[in-house]
Amino acid sequence: MGEKLPQVQGDPQLRRDTLSRPVRTLRAKMVLLGSSGVGKSSLALRFCKDEFRNTSPTVGCAYLTQVMHLSDVTLRFEIWDTAGEEKYHSVTPLYYRGAHAALLVYDVSKRDTFIRAQVWLRELEKQYVAGSTVLWLVGNKGDLAQHRQVSVQEGQSLANDRGLLFTETSALSGDQVDKLLLAVAHRVYECVGAQQGGLSEWQETPHVDLRRRNHLFASCCKVGP
Amino acid sequence: MSQRTERRGGIHVDQSDLLCKKGCGYYGNAAWQGLCSKCWREEYQRVRQKQIQDDWALAEKLQREEEAAYASSHGPQTQPPSQSTPPHPQPGHASLGPFSKFEEKKTNEKTRKVTTVKKFFSPSSRSAPKKETQEGKTPSPSVSRRASFDTDQVSKDFVDFLKNLQKPGREIHKQCRAFIGNMSSKKDLSADELSECVQDFYQNLADRLMGHFKCSSESVEQVMDQVEKYIMTRLYKSVFCPETTDDEKKDLATQNRIRALHWVTIEMLCVSFDEEIPEVSENVVKAITDVIEMDSKRVPRDKLSCITRCSKHIFSAIRITKKEPASADDFLPALIYIVLKANPPRLQSNIQYITRFCNPSRLMTGEDGYYFTNLCCAAAFIEKLDAQSLNLSPEEFERYMSGQASPRCSGSEEDWSSPAPAPTNPVLAQLNQNLEVLSGLSGRQEALMEAAHSLQADLLSWPESVQHEVHDILKKYPLEVLPRSAPAIDDNNDVDNDNLPPPLTPQVV
Repeated sequence: MGEKLPQVQGDPQLRRDTLSRPVRTLRAKMVLLGSSGVGKSSLALRFCKDEFRNTSPTVGCAYLTQVMHLSDVTLRFEIWDTAGEEKYHSVTPLYYRGAHAALLVYDVSKRDTFIRAQVWLRELEKQYVAGSTVLWLVGNKGDLAQHRQVSVQEGQSLANDRGLLFTETSALSGDQVDKLLLAVAHRVYECVGAQQGGLSEWQETPHVDLRRRNHLFASCCKVGP
Repeated sequence: MSQRTERRGGIHVDQSDLLCKKGCGYYGNAAWQGLCSKCWREEYQRVRQKQIQDDWALAEKLQREEEAAYASSHGPQTQPPSQSTPPHPQPGHASLGPFSKFEEKKTNEKTRKVTTVKKFFSPSSRSAPKKETQEGKTPSPSVSRRASFDTDQVSKDFVDFLKNLQKPGREIHKQCRAFIGNMSSKKDLSADELSECVQDFYQNLADRLMGHFKCSSESVEQVMDQVEKYIMTRLYKSVFCPETTDDEKKDLATQNRIRALHWVTIEMLCVSFDEEIPEVSENVVKAITDVIEMDSKRVPRDKLSCITRCSKHIFSAIRITKKEPASADDFLPALIYIVLKANPPRLQSNIQYITRFCNPSRLMTGEDGYYFTNLCCAAAFIEKLDAQSLNLSPEEFERYMSGQASPRCSGSEEDWSSPAPAPTNPVLAQLNQNLEVLSGLSGRQEALMEAAHSLQADLLSWPESVQHEVHDILKKYPLEVLPRSAPAIDDNNDVDNDNLPPPLTPQVV
């Protein structure tokens, strides 16, 4: 609480100059798409496993947050898991509205999930506004090499054809997962964060603290006309 | 008329008997009670009319008697309904009666003109306005008590909050009041235009706070929350489910749709709830309560937090059942199940209201936004739900939808469905019983009507048959005037008098 107080004052630009730790926190929305059973939830859990201040433990792994520290900015990822079953396909567009990153996940040991991913991709491309969303193709379950049905080359060439980024991961072993998230974070900040209003600021305490409200405008009243 | 008709053999009928009894000059008919066709029709109409009038009079009399009886039994409690009466208990959960709400809304429209200038409260601070009059929002007398209490509370909180902000606080308050005043003159705008107005206001106010007063984005967010609460509490009546949209129609359609889908079970949706576990069923009940409660809130943010609470209960239920945290694959079907079970009042209106008047960043991102998106998905899914999405054959789906069959009765899922039908069964039994009674009553009424009809027919044919009989008898025994054949008995002739004993003579003893 005491640490946060100085941050309250001034706008982001001001803060960069006045504070020793010039870090802005921006919020970014990431959506996980893919058939059920490809390991979206496991991937999301992996993304967030290090976060000590997790959302309350009773909540499942459908909505998670993870903070990524980049060199000059902090991205607070909100990870939205989606229902992968085909019957919910028609309602999924509601989820990826306003997303900054969309991860298309498939299972390298199941070819049909790869085909489904392409269906998702077509669907996404209909809504896609260039520069507003980072699309990433993710081949999960890379640890199941002996049951592999989709080769790395296939995934890579699909990604190249459609202008996506591509990574193979293993949510089980954690292989490549951290790198993936970091890469996504960089990409999101480069593509979306550069735009005016692309990412909104994140505030730590959106709730009113009654004891502190007297100080709320203490400074701005002196500055104001 | 002077021509003589043929005479039936032996029957002496005067010409006047054959003519219409009304004396119109036409011939009458026995079947028409001796009237001609024209007079009979007139007579028949007259009798019928009279009967209808009598029935009406009787009905009115009964009604009056009933009312009198009611008035005498409830006499002391009845008051002129024009004034709001504080002792009347307010509906605690107005959400339970969606239709009464609709009704209320209509009443509000009608009573909007009623001028009830009310002093809400007198804020102690000198910076705040001394008096607040009605601002385009006149609650109907029936709901004014609670509504105005809510509004009072919100206004008070808002003023208290702004007091601490001093100069910006006054500015914010002035702007909000001006905006609400503005909005009350814009009732005819479409819902989307209203939404735009409110969103523009949010945006402009936030920009001004940022730019002019150099407030931090955190404090702006706090202020905007309070502003949203204040403004939407006041505008709620006029912008929730406005008449310019078909929200109400959609609400009813969704409600009926969910009602028609009452038979959907947990297994069909592949929900991982084990309602045999008390904790799970407790969470399910809480989730249902929360999603229903959403309708009773006025501020979009409060509605969102109802959805979030509902979602957390669902997550708990799944976690207890599966013993691992729930993923979206578990969550969405469970939410759909909860919505089907709860049938939340005015679901579409609420979704539209939140979409239109909530801060958009809250809907696209954030935890509340995630759950709200899921609720929208659930509503959209329910609308499109078909046989395939429940893993049923189209025939089965049709049978269930038309009510010809129920999956609960098939017995194949006895072990699963046993906890679910328990609460519905007494209701269903009662329903069935009532239906039986009703059909029995209608059968009896039909029988009664039939009997009455046959009685009427009998009554109509009775004079005819009597006349026939009379005719027949007359035919059989024609009236003959016999000549006087035997000599009349002469009472005065004393033939037998000699055989009689002498009359007794009184004797004096």
